[in-house]
Amino acid sequence: MKGNVIKYARDNIDTDVIIPGQYLKVHDYAELAKHAMEGLDPDFHSKVKEGDFILSGRNFGCGSSREHAPIALTHSGIKAVLALSFARIFYRNAVDGAFLLPIEIDQDAYSDIAEGDQIDIDLKSNQINNLTKNKTYKMKPFSDIIGKIIEAGGLFKYKPD
Amino acid sequence: MGKTLFEKIWDAHVVVEKENSPSLIYIDRHLVHEVTSPQAFDGLRMNNRKVRRPDLTIATMDHNVPTNNRGLPILDQTSSVQIQTLEKNCKDFGIKLFDINSPNQGIVHVIGPQLGITLPGTTIVCGDSHTSTHGAFGALAFGIGTSEVEHVLASQTLWLEKPKPFEIKVEGKRKNPHAVTAKDIILSIIKNIGTSGGNGTVIEYRGEGISDLSMEQRMTICNMSIEGGARAGLIAPDEKTFEYLRGRQYTPKNYEFLVDYWRENLKTDSDAKFEKNYTLHIDNIAPQVSWGTNPGMTIDVTESVPSPEDFAKGDQNQKKGAEKALEYMNIKSGTPITEIKIDRVFIGSCTNARLEDLIEASKVVKDRKVSPNVKAMVVPGSQMVKKQAEELGLDKIFIDANFEWRESGCSMCLGMNPDILSPGERCASTSNRNFEGRQGTGGRTHLVSPVMAAAAAIFGHFVDVREMDLN
Repeated sequence: MKGNVIKYARDNIDTDVIIPGQYLKVHDYAELAKHAMEGLDPDFHSKVKEGDFILSGRNFGCGSSREHAPIALTHSGIKAVLALSFARIFYRNAVDGAFLLPIEIDQDAYSDIAEGDQIDIDLKSNQINNLTKNKTYKMKPFSDIIGKIIEAGGLFKYKPD
Repeated sequence: MGKTLFEKIWDAHVVVEKENSPSLIYIDRHLVHEVTSPQAFDGLRMNNRKVRRPDLTIATMDHNVPTNNRGLPILDQTSSVQIQTLEKNCKDFGIKLFDINSPNQGIVHVIGPQLGITLPGTTIVCGDSHTSTHGAFGALAFGIGTSEVEHVLASQTLWLEKPKPFEIKVEGKRKNPHAVTAKDIILSIIKNIGTSGGNGTVIEYRGEGISDLSMEQRMTICNMSIEGGARAGLIAPDEKTFEYLRGRQYTPKNYEFLVDYWRENLKTDSDAKFEKNYTLHIDNIAPQVSWGTNPGMTIDVTESVPSPEDFAKGDQNQKKGAEKALEYMNIKSGTPITEIKIDRVFIGSCTNARLEDLIEASKVVKDRKVSPNVKAMVVPGSQMVKKQAEELGLDKIFIDANFEWRESGCSMCLGMNPDILSPGERCASTSNRNFEGRQGTGGRTHLVSPVMAAAAAIFGHFVDVREMDLN
């Protein structure tokens, strides 16, 4: 999975800035995507490209249980969010709906990867390769449980072993 | 080894459990509202599925309903469509709905307990993060996303990764319980454990400081568990819990039998182990006011806004977050909280819009007037709360003081209906989130208790309500 990084170097990016409440009435996902990250970065929609990644700090996606948050990011083209940690409802929503991959990274990757860097995420070896800086970082592997739901393609497709 | 209350409820609801796999958990109650359910019902239709247990599913409309002129058509087209969609979905799938004209309408987390739908020892889910509120009754209650709503509608179960139990002890006695409230306890907890301190856990609140609280106050505590990052928060049921639920509209017929069972079983064993522990001593805590853009950015009313350095304690991200928050909130470090002037006051939300909240706030407001520079409103948590408050004459007290007295709904807590802040407006709010834009684009939110909000409305700035006579 290769793409460029959009970096928000802060903690606690909440679901109200990912998709403000007034858009929870919008059911057209393409329209919803136009307002992704609007509460924090009004330029997001013009700069995001298909296949991009978001990189951020701790507790990404805290707040409301709105699934509109991972939906808006996914329909903007975001394939994965890399963060130091995630709020659990956002994490579950991202995985259960098979919208985007929530990837936990360490401080090293967080500090080193910059806005615009091209990275390649290798889920088999749990490595992130920074193609711009020619460096490699470890990502935290998905737990067995989460891995199984991701592999199945979401909650509805998951079947117990 | 003994078990925690959370583990007992979990174990009683396991349908399938295997090591290193998700657990399939049975859901006892599913609460549904207009915003996070439409796609879930669409999904059912697409796959030709029914609602598995319509009798365990209850719906109401709260997030985007107007709080005034209920007799008129809803002007906002998209809100109107969402409301009509819920009506149609409930009709098509045979789900009980408390619609906009029902005397039982209200914020879903206010009506559940009021109607006796929320019960100890049950699992409760809703497509709303503040579902943790119901934990006050010793239920395992948590918010879910729309895909999960669809899964519960279809199967009455959910695949879950088992959270870890987190013990939060609240010790001591508040010196002035009218001025220092449950809201101040939970804001103090979040300030200390941080907004992600509870990640991956279910909190059990314990200790004298919790058992002293009324049921409505306990709901305020559990409601904000999610702001500390926890999936859920719960409190072991006691005689106050059983008394609160006795004789309500949907309380089960075999209630006393259930009470005997709950009394015996719904408690943490003395030798149970928690994964995490935190203790808050409340003898000397002050009323709390948030200054920043997440609920962890909170200080005592007697303090001044911190500098980013002091707040961050060496953490670069925290420092950046604080700088950004000060800029957004347009306040300077070193400003005493009591010098912060406000434009709006919102007494409402699933955190603090129950009858006791309104009674306490009315004591501050009685025989006084809202500051001429402030616009203030009370939005009762449910139509039932509104009616009870009106029977006590509280509406008159608020209206005489120039507060607006509205119909129930989520209202200005999340800015989905016309009740929003204008850009730059500063609000003392009894709600649960002070995120950027939460109450309207560019709006600035300070989280406080109902008495603190009421006092701010009267004086036009924050005051220490311990200095007022609230008895």
